[in-house]
Amino acid sequence: MKNFLLQHDIKHVDYKDVEVLKQFLNPHGRIMPRSRTGITAKQQRALDAAVKRARYMGLIPYVQK
Amino acid sequence: MATKKEAEVNAARVYEVGYHVLPNVEGEAVEKVVQGIRETIAEMGGSLVAEGAPQDMHLAYTMYINNEGKNTSYDRTHFGWIKFELAAEKIGALEEVMKLNKKILRSIVFRTVKEETRASVKIGALREVKRSDTLKVQTRPEKETVGEVSEEKLDEAIEGLTTPN
Repeated sequence: MKNFLLQHDIKHVDYKDVEVLKQFLNPHGRIMPRSRTGITAKQQRALDAAVKRARYMGLIPYVQK
Repeated sequence: MATKKEAEVNAARVYEVGYHVLPNVEGEAVEKVVQGIRETIAEMGGSLVAEGAPQDMHLAYTMYINNEGKNTSYDRTHFGWIKFELAAEKIGALEEVMKLNKKILRSIVFRTVKEETRASVKIGALREVKRSDTLKVQTRPEKETVGEVSEEKLDEAIEGLTTPN
């Protein structure tokens, strides 16, 4: 499985990078599991934190209809 | 004498504050709000590392503020951020100041790293990669070049198809 972050040389997942975060969200706005994202456990934890910050700040929705 | 743990707490760490300024604050007033945040950080003994100027944006969902028993909804704001160095013990006070500022709709303070954290990949490039990943290019098979067929052979072939077995 390909690691998207490694492929694009992204070392930090920033909550403001909405387009990057959207790569890891399903159409309902939920975070994909690591088995789908293919990133490392450490990167997945950073992704979780970034997505939750982005949701709180209204950059991405909590749920998509 | 300060213990090792106390020294770690007192050492300056890198933090980032993200904030939404209310949409009814416009022009130079927005800059004044940001200047206020900068001054608060400086007064607490912090130093700025990087900054993103406030920009108009549409929120992903409507936010509400309860002002004296009346809900006011907002779906667009001026969003900006500041990265700074500050002692860990001062962060709680900064969060309080941000909360009490009535021109700020919402804010977030969290620990980060000094280097640039934004992805340098362009949005267009990301989309291109996504497309090529999901869509497989199908090439049409080249047309077989068949020589001329006589009418007799053609009729025979049609008859073969239409006659029941």
